[in-house]
Amino acid sequence: MGTKLVFSNVSAGYGRIQILSDLSFEVQEGEVFGVIGPNGCGKTTMFNALIGLIIPSKGEIIFDGHNITKMAANARCRLGIGRTYQVPRPFEGMSVFENVLVAAVHGAGHSEKEGRRVALDALKLTGLYDKREVRAGELTLLDRKRLEIARALGTEPKLLLLDEVAAGLTEAEVKDVMKMVADLKAAGYTIIWIEHVIETMVNSTDTLMCMAEGRNLLVGKPLDVMNSKLVEEVYLGVPEDE
Amino acid sequence: MKIPVLLDRKKTKAASSGGQVRVLDGVPMLAACVAIAAALYIFGLTGVLSSNIQRYLLKIFLYCTLSSMWNLMSGYTGMTSLGQQTYIGLAGYSLTVMTATYAMSYWVGFLVGAVISTIVSLILAIILFRMRGMYFAVATWVVAEALRTFFTSWKFVKKGAGMTVAARPYPSTSTIYIIALTLCIIALAVVYFLLKSRVGLGLTAMRDDPDAASSVGVDIFKSKLLVYVVSAIFTALAGGIFYLNKGSIYPAGGFGISWTVSMVFIVIIGGIGTMGGPVLGSILYVIFEEQLAKLPGGWTNIVLGLIAILVILFLPDGILGTLQKKLRFEILSQKRFSGE
Ligand SMILES: Nc1ncnc2c1ncn2[C@@H]1O[C@H](COP(=O)(O)OP(=O)(O)OP(=O)(O)O)[C@@H](O)[C@H]1O
Ligand SMILES: [Mg+2]
Repeated sequence: MGTKLVFSNVSAGYGRIQILSDLSFEVQEGEVFGVIGPNGCGKTTMFNALIGLIIPSKGEIIFDGHNITKMAANARCRLGIGRTYQVPRPFEGMSVFENVLVAAVHGAGHSEKEGRRVALDALKLTGLYDKREVRAGELTLLDRKRLEIARALGTEPKLLLLDEVAAGLTEAEVKDVMKMVADLKAAGYTIIWIEHVIETMVNSTDTLMCMAEGRNLLVGKPLDVMNSKLVEEVYLGVPEDE
Repeated sequence: MKIPVLLDRKKTKAASSGGQVRVLDGVPMLAACVAIAAALYIFGLTGVLSSNIQRYLLKIFLYCTLSSMWNLMSGYTGMTSLGQQTYIGLAGYSLTVMTATYAMSYWVGFLVGAVISTIVSLILAIILFRMRGMYFAVATWVVAEALRTFFTSWKFVKKGAGMTVAARPYPSTSTIYIIALTLCIIALAVVYFLLKSRVGLGLTAMRDDPDAASSVGVDIFKSKLLVYVVSAIFTALAGGIFYLNKGSIYPAGGFGISWTVSMVFIVIIGGIGTMGGPVLGSILYVIFEEQLAKLPGGWTNIVLGLIAILVILFLPDGILGTLQKKLRFEILSQKRFSGE
């Protein structure tokens, strides 16, 4: 098991506003790496820098031995990084099936024929199979979130980035997501999972990082991180149910 | 495509959840297209059409080419250009300069127009693709306006006075009709097969959300470049043929915004993001234009504008687009079905 991903001293933001400052952490191959931190601390921004929507002003991102700091987003996807968006961003004019087919063809590099099978598998796994011909713009929020996961899986990633996929779900649905993550981990995926739902972070992750103000505040075993004084301090004043 | 549907309704119903769309393509549609094209060729070659009718039809073919390419850019890819007249003007002037100044054949004129347009579009792409949405649209227009101003003061092309095409021998209307028809057929085929290709699959994704598309592996720059350059080439060829038919060009005409107005009008009334929309729109546009030509100057545009507004208000997907949605069918759709 090697190191899958390294962030070293990454600073990045939007325009002149710097959000990440000197962020460093490592993700090991095959693990579920959880990320917590107060609202606005830069978790989603870290994903944006990781997939290439924003380019760091400083530091390096190494994925599978490749320096991807400045690589184009589509090339990173082809290397094997697939993400979900916290606020779903489906291709609204396309059907659910086509949304995932794009990922399988362009992201995983399949022909359309092979891609069809990959897409259908991803739709079955995420419970969207019956809605495969529905226009994505007509989906409910919950289904849009499912589609985010299906589309990311369609790219056949080695590193899967989940951004608050369990937020707003019922307890049973959260359990389903945890089961899915466990299955994916067993299938060999490396996963970074941002979530505010404490239960998922404690039970499903191998390593947990708490971010604060664009930095890595603390990283370690999930329970150790949860019980630490430092983490408690940054969360003070933040409502429990966030 | 496992659901070419004309015959197989039960299967589509079974696969449906929210109501399946019927796609008209495959062999029956191909046969229909070939029949129409063959008829148009035969009419043109046998001389059964009066030269007036030929002139209407060749205009339809050219507008159909122009607007299909504009539709490919705006309707399918999300690149809304207001400056395709750049390539019409360049091609029109290439034709006149090649035939009048250098006494070459009009084929050389078309070729030079296409080559110049390819080069210019490649250069502009690098600059324009940094912009999105409105900024891109306005920038393309500014480029066309700059060229208009430049040609208006360029002595080599006789400044604002314009130039006359001097092909020798000058082709007959029937010849131009056949050339325009051929271009139109090739343009429609290119759009169709491009949309059916893997690049085409990425285009719609890109139109809906470029960031999300690039994060699932779509190469935005390459796809845009392909669409932009292909559009430029076909727009140039259509422009060249148009000016061969017209016989003369001046900067305000060749590089005028009214080209874009026509393309937008055609695509909007026909149905943006549909294969058939530009075809229907072009037919209607040429009919309107001919009928309205009798009105005093300026009124044509006012009436066309009113028609466009009414269509946008009552049929926001265009005439064909609305029909397709209501009756749940699509002609030559680029849609992919799971086939299960
Ligand atoms: N596109 C953007 N342009 C400018 N600022 C942005 C943009 N997106 C996010 N921000 C700002 O960057 C900061 C970090 O946002 P980010 O989305 O990374 O937080 P987060 O940790 O994911 O929070 P949450 O838990 O609420 O999802 C916030 O202050 C936010 O307002
Ligand atoms: Mg976030």
